[in-house]
Amino acid sequence: MADDKNSSKTGEKAQASSGPQAQPMPNGDTIVLPAAAAGAGKIALIVGVVSLAIAYFTAGGWQQFSHSYLTAFMWGLSISVGGVWWVMLQHLLGARASVVMRRVGEVIAQGVLLMSVLALVIIVPTVFLHDSTIYQWVNHDYMESSHALHSKVGYLNTTFFFIRMVFYFAFWSLMARWWLKKSMAQDSTKGDVEYTLSLQGKAAPALIGFTIAVTFCAVDFLMSLDAYWFSTIFGIYYFATCVITFHSFLALAIMWLQKKGVLAKSVNAEHFHDIGKMMFAFTCFWSYVGFSQFMLIWYANIPEESHWYHERFEGSWMTASLVLAFFHFIVPFFGMMSRYMKRNPKTLKFWAFYLLAICWFDMYWLVAPNIHHGGVNFQLSDLFAWVGMAGLVVWFFVLKAQKKNLVATGDPRLKRSLAFENI
Amino acid sequence: MTQSTSDNQQPLFGVIAEYDTPTAIYNASKKVRDAGYNRWDTYTPFPIHGIEKAMGIRMTKLPWIVICATLTGLTTAILLQWWTNAVDYKWLISGKPFWSWPANVPIMFELSVLFSAFATIFGMLVLNNLPLFSHPLDLKERFRRVSDDKFFLVIEASDPKFDHGATTELLNATTPVVLEEVRDERTSSTAVPKPLVYILLLGLFGSLVPFALFAKARSSTMREGRIHVVWDMDFSPSYKPQSDNIHYSDERGMRSPVTGTVARGHLNADEHLHLGKQENGTYALTLPSTVAANDDIMKRGKVQFETYCSPCHGTAGDGNGIVHKRAEALGGAWVPPANLLSDHVRSQEAGKLFNTITNGYNSMKGYASQIEAEDRWAIILYLRALQNSQGIAASELPEAERAQLK
Repeated sequence: MADDKNSSKTGEKAQASSGPQAQPMPNGDTIVLPAAAAGAGKIALIVGVVSLAIAYFTAGGWQQFSHSYLTAFMWGLSISVGGVWWVMLQHLLGARASVVMRRVGEVIAQGVLLMSVLALVIIVPTVFLHDSTIYQWVNHDYMESSHALHSKVGYLNTTFFFIRMVFYFAFWSLMARWWLKKSMAQDSTKGDVEYTLSLQGKAAPALIGFTIAVTFCAVDFLMSLDAYWFSTIFGIYYFATCVITFHSFLALAIMWLQKKGVLAKSVNAEHFHDIGKMMFAFTCFWSYVGFSQFMLIWYANIPEESHWYHERFEGSWMTASLVLAFFHFIVPFFGMMSRYMKRNPKTLKFWAFYLLAICWFDMYWLVAPNIHHGGVNFQLSDLFAWVGMAGLVVWFFVLKAQKKNLVATGDPRLKRSLAFENI
Repeated sequence: MTQSTSDNQQPLFGVIAEYDTPTAIYNASKKVRDAGYNRWDTYTPFPIHGIEKAMGIRMTKLPWIVICATLTGLTTAILLQWWTNAVDYKWLISGKPFWSWPANVPIMFELSVLFSAFATIFGMLVLNNLPLFSHPLDLKERFRRVSDDKFFLVIEASDPKFDHGATTELLNATTPVVLEEVRDERTSSTAVPKPLVYILLLGLFGSLVPFALFAKARSSTMREGRIHVVWDMDFSPSYKPQSDNIHYSDERGMRSPVTGTVARGHLNADEHLHLGKQENGTYALTLPSTVAANDDIMKRGKVQFETYCSPCHGTAGDGNGIVHKRAEALGGAWVPPANLLSDHVRSQEAGKLFNTITNGYNSMKGYASQIEAEDRWAIILYLRALQNSQGIAASELPEAERAQLK
């Protein structure tokens, strides 16, 4: 036992100093991204920076840009936060089928490091400049204007907001890095079960922390746009988006890697089928949560709750709400139900892009009515901020995917994952 | 290798091949599949990955059955709720429209799931020919090891491609451990077992009992009181009108409305319409602007007058109504009703008449609780017509009517 621990420690160091003494892939598949693929990352970076710059200059003001940016940011954040959740969940459940894809998920989860930096665009003006353009609750006079708001000052104040933000991003970054590090340390062992058991045990408390973080993160970034409004299910609503966007991104990332000759023999229709099932299931889950939230508020009809929907039913926002219900639920529900859609990489690719797009529209539907009352007022900056965010997310993924084994070769369940079949 | 164990009396069910390993039966399955057989199956102690491809089993039709059931469930839920809420038994709930679809979605969801679940389980049973009460392989001694360590492949004689010689040869080429004929040696009936039939029949008749009781209750009378099934609903613990309630200091169960409460539709904000007063506080001289002096209102006034006023005041308004005649006939103290055609009444303002109908006068009680404000004005309109129809100068009559008088 002592020997094992020593060897695993040296294994960690070896990983850290870039000398992968990792176990070989049982099926001899390529699992390291070729150096040539780095070019795609650079293109994505340029697209990202240029698009965000265009978004800033076409917005015609901080108010529009900040909201376009927040929409795109919450969309980008959902991908990496979904990744953190997924990696920990696979460990908690002792999942066998997903082992071959788990490293790619761990790399996607690294996105929270990028998001921690990108979040500063929202956090710094709000906390340090006391700018109430995005969050009206920053304004003291506004919060003193009614009893309902005044009673929330204990939570909605810049100091506590900042403390919470530090917790969310520190926690997620720590989790993302730690889980990747331990998983890579296991690569250099011959399937050391100690790692597996330790990661499984720690996944349970970590997921509790994750749940608290994602719930309050959604409350802080999105729900507090309207300081009056509250919905206890809102955290789960955003979490559903995290799971959809992550799995869509995972499917696309693996397809791209396979095009570059990585994982080509290891990930097959069976694994894509699993990803597709999660995309489909959480699309239904999103609808379930979204409708639950709507129906309870509609039925109780309490003014401080129902005004939030009223804003989204005014003018052309009504059309946007119906579009969301139709294209975020009914279309993918019938479209993705068939097994064929999930097992065929071409159709799965379509649905992955589709869901990433509709999830962005969901974020837009949550954020934009905050400044555009009475009707949809789509701005070019909304589009460019989104493209820019997508560029940065892709760039960071390619950056983090380089010089790594993209399969957890030390996981004792790898062989079962490679032989996995849906019955 | 073929061993003929039967005396060839019973009909041939098929040919059975026994294997020792999953690999052997997997490879044998591919050969049988490629030979084009349809009515055959493999029997193994545990599920074998990929055997369905080796056997050439097509995708099941079950999902299509299930989606049809789902849509049926969805439609049922929509129609059921639409019919009960919006058509058959309208009931206003918290001011929402009668058919409020958001409230119906949970039921749509639940019935869709319920119908889908039933279609899945029963569709699966039907597609698998289940329940199956007996099978020729049940009597095969060697076949018992199928739940232990042996793998079997059976080609049934009912397959159109089945040919005893050729089929045996095909299976022989897959190198089975044992290859045998299977004869249908079942002596008992293949139908549903008798005890099960009895249980099902009993259940069926038992389920009819409540309906029989309903039918009897609906078509007969009984001396006993009704049966209270839901006690809480029949005897609600809520406070009844006129009962006491010790939780209030005045111990009354009925509570007065909050001071200043106005019942819906009883604000009576229009002084002219509801009090018959003008802005300066004097009685109004005309009908309120909301009550038009037209034929419809006149007819309405006639109906109301003859219902509420004529018993005392008479249909002509001369104070000679049937109640008055009866009181006169009986004798005793009786204040005669006013003659509405008198100059005294004719000279009263419309607002004053309205006030009298509303609040009463002398022994006449107020009619505010029985006659709507608009209808009281309609009565006044009709009353004015009655007054004008009596005792006017002949010169004021229209030409045609004056001609009739001559």
